[in-house]
Amino acid sequence: MLEKGKISASQMGMMLFLAVVASGVMSIPGITGKYAHNDLWLSPIWAALMGTVTVWIAHRLHCMYPEKTSVQYSEEVVGKVAGKAIGFLFIFFYLHLSGFVVRSYAEFIVQNFLHKTPISVVIITMIFVCTWAVRAGIEVIGRTAQLFFPVFLIPVLFIPLLLNNMKLDYLFPMLEHGLVPSIKGALVPGGWLSEMFLLSFLLPYVRNQEKGKSSALYAVIGVTLLLTMINFFILFVLGKQIGDFLFPVMVAFRYISVAEFFENMESLVMAIWILGMFVKISIFYYVTVLGASQWFRMSDYRSLVLPIGFFVGLFSFWSFPNFNTGLYFDIYAFPFYGPLIQTVLPLFLLIIAALRKKGQSQNQNLTAAKHK
Amino acid sequence: MSGNPRKWWKANKGRMQQKHVPSHTPLEKNIARNEEILRTLYTNCSDVVFRSFLIFGTTPALIIYIDGLANIEEMDARVLAPLMQGRGNTEWRTEDFLQKVIPISKWQEICSLEECVESIASGYPVLLIDQQEKAISIGLAKWEKRNVEEPVAEGVVRGPREGFTESITVNTSLLRRLIKTPALKMERREIGGYTKTCIIVTYIEGLVEPSLVTEVNSRLSRIEIDGILESGYIEELIEDQPSSPFPQILSTERPDVVCGNLLEGRIAILVDGTPFVLIAPTTLFSLLQSSEDYYQRSLASTAIRWLRYFFTAMSFVLPSLYVALITYHHEMVPTSLLISMASSREAVPFPALVEAMIMEVTFEALREAGVRLPKQVGAAVNIVGALVIGQAAVQAGLVSAPMVIVVAITGIASFMIPHYIAGISIRLLRFPMMLLAGTLGLLGIMLGVIMAVVHLCSLRSLGVPYLSPVGPLRVQELKDTLVRAPWWMMDTRPKLLGEANPHRQAPGMKPGPSNGGDAT
Repeated sequence: MLEKGKISASQMGMMLFLAVVASGVMSIPGITGKYAHNDLWLSPIWAALMGTVTVWIAHRLHCMYPEKTSVQYSEEVVGKVAGKAIGFLFIFFYLHLSGFVVRSYAEFIVQNFLHKTPISVVIITMIFVCTWAVRAGIEVIGRTAQLFFPVFLIPVLFIPLLLNNMKLDYLFPMLEHGLVPSIKGALVPGGWLSEMFLLSFLLPYVRNQEKGKSSALYAVIGVTLLLTMINFFILFVLGKQIGDFLFPVMVAFRYISVAEFFENMESLVMAIWILGMFVKISIFYYVTVLGASQWFRMSDYRSLVLPIGFFVGLFSFWSFPNFNTGLYFDIYAFPFYGPLIQTVLPLFLLIIAALRKKGQSQNQNLTAAKHK
Repeated sequence: MSGNPRKWWKANKGRMQQKHVPSHTPLEKNIARNEEILRTLYTNCSDVVFRSFLIFGTTPALIIYIDGLANIEEMDARVLAPLMQGRGNTEWRTEDFLQKVIPISKWQEICSLEECVESIASGYPVLLIDQQEKAISIGLAKWEKRNVEEPVAEGVVRGPREGFTESITVNTSLLRRLIKTPALKMERREIGGYTKTCIIVTYIEGLVEPSLVTEVNSRLSRIEIDGILESGYIEELIEDQPSSPFPQILSTERPDVVCGNLLEGRIAILVDGTPFVLIAPTTLFSLLQSSEDYYQRSLASTAIRWLRYFFTAMSFVLPSLYVALITYHHEMVPTSLLISMASSREAVPFPALVEAMIMEVTFEALREAGVRLPKQVGAAVNIVGALVIGQAAVQAGLVSAPMVIVVAITGIASFMIPHYIAGISIRLLRFPMMLLAGTLGLLGIMLGVIMAVVHLCSLRSLGVPYLSPVGPLRVQELKDTLVRAPWWMMDTRPKLLGEANPHRQAPGMKPGPSNGGDAT
């Protein structure tokens, strides 16, 4: 096997949680708010369906082909040529997504905090740090995720500091235009939750396999709960103008002012958010490296870490020319592009694999009957 | 000397490994011949004494010892006197001697010249007798050694005050006095071509994972070096990740610390000639724990541990945090504080990063000077340091007062780490952190922290993850990491590699009036 390290199921759950929520928590609420208005707290619940379905598909496929990642088993499911093509699609998808995530992270930092720093510096330093982690392997990424998981949740503790600014009235009128706006708002978080398909790359390296599915589902529940809570929180603080902000969470945290000492927490929130983004980027980067080395049938993935890191850097520049285009991609393309590759394509793989298995067992039954 | 150093080493190995003594040369019957060989070996060794005499006035014999290593008074009274003055028939064997004439409990028969030399070097006089193929090594060694004193580097308020000494026999006896079971094993070996330093690997059978002992032994037998003068040599030669700034093997001079670790299933390595004993495997958290934590009340220990964790983190990031706040993130500082900081920085000609660097380097210089200087001069250094980097530098407008406070807190924080060596590595890391903070602000600090965490996550000490029990998480063991649980709750031992004897004590020992006391 390429990767000799093992992670525990709970580590995998935390990795998946951070991989989805780290970037989501900043950009999703604003977009959701644009469509769902004051029903935005409902949207993550619809989106959770997408996450659950993706987890179920990835886990079924894993049960059929244990110890193999999706790049490896797609060859077995649909044959060598088509399988290689699908594998390439997965790798390219995650390579592009890694670059995209790095870029949006860098744009966020430059727009909000380091206005004069060239964006390439922010991008390159992050990729360098992630290279460090990816070289160390899945075990180290898992442990880092486990350590950063509780830290990432610290900002939730700041929410009570805003009780003064919260108005529960903003919740009403509930479902003014029916369920449709909230379902529209669920498309973007749904796209994010389809990233749960990362599971298919991590499951083969989980030590306690039997808990793999449940901890992935816990990750889906965790993401949903956190997004719902954040949505409630910004709704109560900002009211109907949520849709006007790009990063409403940051804006809401700026309201904090207690005893003229706990003020301007947004720098602290950003610092903690960087930890989550690091885990997210490392996982995407790692999955790309692992998938590529399996696609090339290499014996060690470490020699691919640097070249792919270089490509991640390039893709972060190529993915979009400016911030607004990136936002368009997030709103109009990704809700369909993400689930297409990560949920629909695996679903087809699952159906074909199931039919094949059925055919095989029938054949075996037939031959067995003939021999009798 | 050119070409491959490995080849050169293989060809010239013998030179290092003291081949002056031919290995396994049996002693000869003729005592004059033996004496001649030994005298040639010890040419120009003025400290080696050869004393010839006649046993019972008839048989020639020779006693050889090193002046200062052998107990001469005892030897004269117990060995020479009975042999020279006593009477006996001429038909006797060496064994009879030892049973009837020489009243000494520790002795050994020697057959080869090599053993002879070894015994003499260890301080045991050797008795050669004419017409006998076996010599006797007499266990009368005695050399100057320090008394058992209180350890200097690891002080405690409550707890034993004994510390290890330079003598390995004293050290093993200190351990044996605390752990009396025969399961306490001590495997002896010699390392060092010239020094022949005695190394003892000790562990408790049944508690330690056997694979761990094999691993330590195989790593030790890899060592081919001319001399071992301190356990630091061994530490650097057997650790997992030699390029890491973090020590992966704990060193201590306290017998109670060693015993506590042995009882948790770890291995200790004693080295002759140093009071510092190595303990492996080690985790980051055991570097941050003091033996006193286990002797105080658990609540106090828990609070002190948290204080220690907090200040350890501070010694790592505080100066860089200050630099980042001053340079990039003014908005995070409350306004009134910002105004007073700005006014004190007004006259300072340097950017915050340079200011911080100057002060931190000066602090390190002062610390090093304080350790190394003779005590009489040390006081002068302290005064000069306090005046120059404290008062005068601020008044001269070279540094700002808040910076002095930051440096002082960082310094105190780094001395809170109970193991001095670990403190040094964390203090070293704060310099790159300051550079990162000066260039990228808070983002730089976070990137530095991430890199440190990733590195710590990938470190192992003899196969045990360095950050356990936190990463990977072992909830059972957090009772001795996040808190110091009271002893009646410490039912299980930490799981290092395997699960050799996981239970430490009987469960449900919580004391109380209805449980153990006089129930009324």
